[in-house]
Amino acid sequence: MSLFLPKLSCKKDIDDAIKSVAEKVLVLRFGRDEDSVCLQLDEILSKTAHDLSNMASIYLVDVDTVPVYTRYFDISFIPSTVFFFNGQHMKVDYGSPDHTKFVGSFKTKQDFMDLIEVIYRGAMRGKLIVQSPIDPRNIPKYDLLYHDI
Amino acid sequence: MGAFYCSICRKTDFSGKGHIYGKSHQSKLKVILVKFMEKVKEAKRTIKNPQVEKYSPDHDEKFWCYCCALEVQKHVTDSNISVLYGGLLEHMSTPEHRTNTHKFWWDNKADPKLRDKFIITEEETERFKSEVSKALEQFEEKEDVFIKQQAAVIRSQEQLRLEVLQSLSEPDPDLVHPAEVDQHSSQHTASSHSHSYEMEPQPGPSHEDFASHSQWNEPGFNLTFIGYQDSSSSGNVHTGAVPPWLLEEPDEAPGSGRQEMGPSLQGFLKHKEQEKLKKLPANRVGANFDHSSHTDANWLPSFGRVWNSGRRWQSRHQFREEETKSRGKRKWEGDGKATKKPKDLSNGEL
Repeated sequence: MSLFLPKLSCKKDIDDAIKSVAEKVLVLRFGRDEDSVCLQLDEILSKTAHDLSNMASIYLVDVDTVPVYTRYFDISFIPSTVFFFNGQHMKVDYGSPDHTKFVGSFKTKQDFMDLIEVIYRGAMRGKLIVQSPIDPRNIPKYDLLYHDI
Repeated sequence: MGAFYCSICRKTDFSGKGHIYGKSHQSKLKVILVKFMEKVKEAKRTIKNPQVEKYSPDHDEKFWCYCCALEVQKHVTDSNISVLYGGLLEHMSTPEHRTNTHKFWWDNKADPKLRDKFIITEEETERFKSEVSKALEQFEEKEDVFIKQQAAVIRSQEQLRLEVLQSLSEPDPDLVHPAEVDQHSSQHTASSHSHSYEMEPQPGPSHEDFASHSQWNEPGFNLTFIGYQDSSSSGNVHTGAVPPWLLEEPDEAPGSGRQEMGPSLQGFLKHKEQEKLKKLPANRVGANFDHSSHTDANWLPSFGRVWNSGRRWQSRHQFREEETKSRGKRKWEGDGKATKKPKDLSNGEL
């Protein structure tokens, strides 16, 4: 399934994607193609990509190829999905400890589409952080690593 | 004395007689007298030389006499002519005004030297009246003369018009002579045979048409003649030919070919995109983001970190600092993961 989604393999490609995608939500999935949860997520992404084509552009990134961004975005679990709009990072409150990215996979395609729509509408109104429409029970749970505590 | 109203200060005063000797009262009194004096001076100037004028609405003006506490007509008028300052002078010559003026001076303790200026003696009034009658006579004479002049002008104009009418109503043989008379009267100098040419085919037109015809013919002979325009080969406005500005130019450069006007396809598509962008809300996230700006290799996007407080770009700044530090440490240690410095432990930036 991930064959249908475009891949970015170097920092420059990611930079170009962030800078060039205009007036649409940019979805960057950080993970590995072989990982099981990543495969689930990739399937949802590819199936909804066409329907969301006017609102979002979706790209896949392998975390091993871009260590800079892996550190910058503080990606500790995969898959992690980061959202951008017009070059600005969009935060979403999922009810989880980390608002900067979505960790794990979505339960249904509809969840993902709702999330994209909420992000798009919030960005159009100038909001840098939005409230997730997904039911908190469907959000994957994880423990955030506290460094040096 | 009790309470009494001082009309000069326009205040009710309880201090009794002493008020009049006070500073404010005296200063106000002076001001009033100065103003009043001006008016009276103007009027006195006209005693020797009364001015008689045709009536105008501001001759009904009144003035306030402080001594008598009355409003009095300034000028004397009978709706046709008026004598300037007549009213004022008449009022000031009355005996009542005299007594009032004396009373006023005594009550307010004003300067007695000024008092006489506000009264007009009988001799002055006599003089004034004789002067006024003379002036009136002169005025009437002037008016008569003027009216006669006007009448003369009107009469002469009438005469002219009558003559014109008469000349036009005469039959053919007399046309030449009345036509000349007509010219004279309308002050043109042109040949007379054109007149006769015009008037013969129209034996019985209305008088007004004749007059206008005779005047319109003459201008044609003052213009310059530039030759007969032969447009039988190409056609002109009246035949419905193509106007010159819509004709194809024969002398275009041979290599230019078809010159297209307007923007290129790229420009047009770009314009369309821009139009779409204008419709988007102006306060959306990253509205002012320049998508085509060139950044160097170590550009990082604006990413709000998990444990940050403060602005988003600080997270980038912090990351860069950590990178340089961790690189430095790696060089020193050379093995294992570099330990990261603890980040701010305040709640995530919302």
